[in-house]
Amino acid sequence: MIQGIVIEGLVFGIMALGVFITFRVLDFADLTVDGSFPLGSAVMAMLLTAGVNPFFAMVAAFAAGGVAGAVTAVIHSKLKIPGLLAGILTMTMLHSVNLRIMGNRANVSLLRVDTLFRSISDYASSFMPGEYGILLFLALFTLIVLVATNLFFHTDFGITVGALGSNQQMITSQGMNPEVIKLLGVSLSNGLVGVSGALAAMYQGFADVNAGTGTVVAGLASVMIGEFLLRSNKIELLTLRVILGSILYRAIMFSGRQYGYLINLTANDLKLITGVLIIGCLVISKYGNGRLFSRKGKKA
Amino acid sequence: MIRKIISGLVLSLVACALLTAGGAGDTTDDGTTRIGISKIVAHPALDAVEKGVQDELAARGITAVYDLQNANGDVNTATQIATKFKRDKVDVIVAIATPMAVSAANSVRDIPVVFSVVTDPVSAGLVPNLSKGEGNVTGLSDKTDIYAHLELFKRIAGIKTLGHIFTSSEANSAAALAELEDACKKLSIELVVQSINNSSEVKQATEAIIRRVDGIYLTTDNTVYSALPALVEVALSQKKPVFSSDPTSAIEGGCVIASGFDYYKAGRATGAMVAEILEGRNPDSMPTKFLTDPSEQNLLLDLDAAKICGITLPEDLVKSANQIIENGKLTTR
Repeated sequence: MIQGIVIEGLVFGIMALGVFITFRVLDFADLTVDGSFPLGSAVMAMLLTAGVNPFFAMVAAFAAGGVAGAVTAVIHSKLKIPGLLAGILTMTMLHSVNLRIMGNRANVSLLRVDTLFRSISDYASSFMPGEYGILLFLALFTLIVLVATNLFFHTDFGITVGALGSNQQMITSQGMNPEVIKLLGVSLSNGLVGVSGALAAMYQGFADVNAGTGTVVAGLASVMIGEFLLRSNKIELLTLRVILGSILYRAIMFSGRQYGYLINLTANDLKLITGVLIIGCLVISKYGNGRLFSRKGKKA
Repeated sequence: MIRKIISGLVLSLVACALLTAGGAGDTTDDGTTRIGISKIVAHPALDAVEKGVQDELAARGITAVYDLQNANGDVNTATQIATKFKRDKVDVIVAIATPMAVSAANSVRDIPVVFSVVTDPVSAGLVPNLSKGEGNVTGLSDKTDIYAHLELFKRIAGIKTLGHIFTSSEANSAAALAELEDACKKLSIELVVQSINNSSEVKQATEAIIRRVDGIYLTTDNTVYSALPALVEVALSQKKPVFSSDPTSAIEGGCVIASGFDYYKAGRATGAMVAEILEGRNPDSMPTKFLTDPSEQNLLLDLDAAKICGITLPEDLVKSANQIIENGKLTTR
C-alpha cells in the first residue's frame, strides 16, 4: 500500500512539476494539462502497441506534450486570447486529437503489450516484490527529471523564465521577447505532463481518453500541499516539495479510501473527504504560522 | 514554530496511518468471504450490476463482506482501487466497466478478477478469446446483438437510412460502432453517424441528422442516454422512430422499441460466476459469458410513440414484450 502511494505520487508528481512551472514560475494559469496528460498516455500506448522502445516513446510523449503547450502559448500570444481560454481551447481540441491518436478508441489496453513497468516488475520479482522494482525505477527517473529541471532553472535562460513570471516588464525592457520565453516555458511544462501521462499509462495498463479530467486540479493541490510541507525559495527545494506534495496528496486519497468507512463514508464520498483534508492542510499552512492564534488573541 | 509543530504532527499521523496500513492491516484469515467490487462511476446501470452481484450471492446462501469502491469517474484512481483490494486480500474482485477491469487485471495476478459489462474483452486484452479466461481473469460481456436489432428495426419501420448518435469518449460505443457499420452493410442500410462529447450536444446532433434518416438507433451509450428525452423529442417531432438498446432508460417513453440488456440480470449472472469461483473453479477455464437467453433480456415497446410515427407493431412482437407503454401508462408483465 505504501509503495502504491509513493509510486502514484511519483507518476503524478512529474505532472505536478509541470503544473508548478506554469502556475508558479511563469504565473500562467495553464489548463492545457487536462489534455496533454491523456495525450502523453495516448502516444505511449500507441507507440508501445507498435513495438517502439518505451524510452523512445517517453521522449515522443514529452515532445507531443511540448507541442500542445506551444499551441496554447501561440494562441495566447499571437491571437491575443486570454491564457485561461487558450488553455481550455487546446485542452478541448486535444480531446479529438487524442481519440484520433488512439485510433478512435476511448480506451487502449496495454495488457497484451510489454510495458516497461511489467518487465521491471518481472525482473525485480526474482529478488524482491516486483512493486519495489517499479518504485526504485520511478524514484531514479524522478530524480533525473528533478536534477534536469533544477539545472535548467540555473541556466541564464531558466532564470529568465523565472523572472518573466515575477516581472514581465523587466524582461521586455531587457530587450528580450517575453512571448518566446513563455512559449518555451509552457512547452516544457506540458512536455513533463506528457511524460507523466505516459508513465501513468504504463502503470495503469491502459490509456483512456477521459484520464485528463481533474488532472490540473490534482496537480495544483499537490503543488499547494508541497508548499505547506517546506518553506523555501531555493529551486531545488521548490521542485522537490512538488513531488513530496504529490505523494502526500495520493496518501490523503488512499487514507480516505482506506479509512473512510470508519466514519461511515462510502466510496462516493471520497472526493469530499479528499477536498476537506486538503483544505485542512492549506488552512494549517496559511494560518499555522502562529497567526491563527494571535488573531484570536487580538479579537478577544 | 507552531506551524512546524502542526505540520510535523500531521505528517507523523499520516505516516502512522500508512505504516499500520502496510503492516498489520491483514484481516482476512478469519474465514469470512470478502469481495471487492469496483465501478467507474455511480450510474443507475452500474449500480444495478453491483446490486445484482450481491443479490445473486445472497440467493445462493453465500454471506460475504463487500468492499464497494467507486472511481468517481476518475480513471486515474482505477489502479489505486485494485491495489487496495490486493492489500486487503479479498477473495474475488469484481470490476465493472472496461478501465476498472483492465487496471485490475494489470495489477492483480493472484486474486480472481471477474469483469462485468465489458463490451469487448478481447480487444481490451482481458482474455485471449471468448471461449476461455486467462489466468485469474474472466467475466461477462454486455455486447448486444446489433444485427438482430437492425433486422427487427428494418422489418417494422422500413429503415433505409439509419441515424446513429454515440459518445466518442466511451469505449463501449466506439466498439459498437464498428459492429453497427458491419450490420448496416449486411442489411444494405445507409448509416448516418453523429458523434458527441457530452450530453448537452445530443439535441443538436439529433437535429442535424433527423431529416435525412428514417429512424435512430442507439447502442449502449451512457452519455446519450442521459439526454434521451431531448433526443426523443426531436425525433418524434419529425415522426421518426427511435430504437434503443437500453430498456431501463426507455421507461420514460418515446422510444418505439427498446430491447437489450438488463443490468440487474447481468449483475446476477456475474454473481453466479463469482459463486463458481468461490466454489473452487479456476477463472482460466471459464469462458466469457454473454446474456443471450431471452429471459435475460428486456423488451419495451412504446405504442404511443409508434402511433406518432405511423408504425403498426406486429402482434407477436407485442406479445413477447415484457414492458409496454400505452396511452401514457407503463405496464410491466
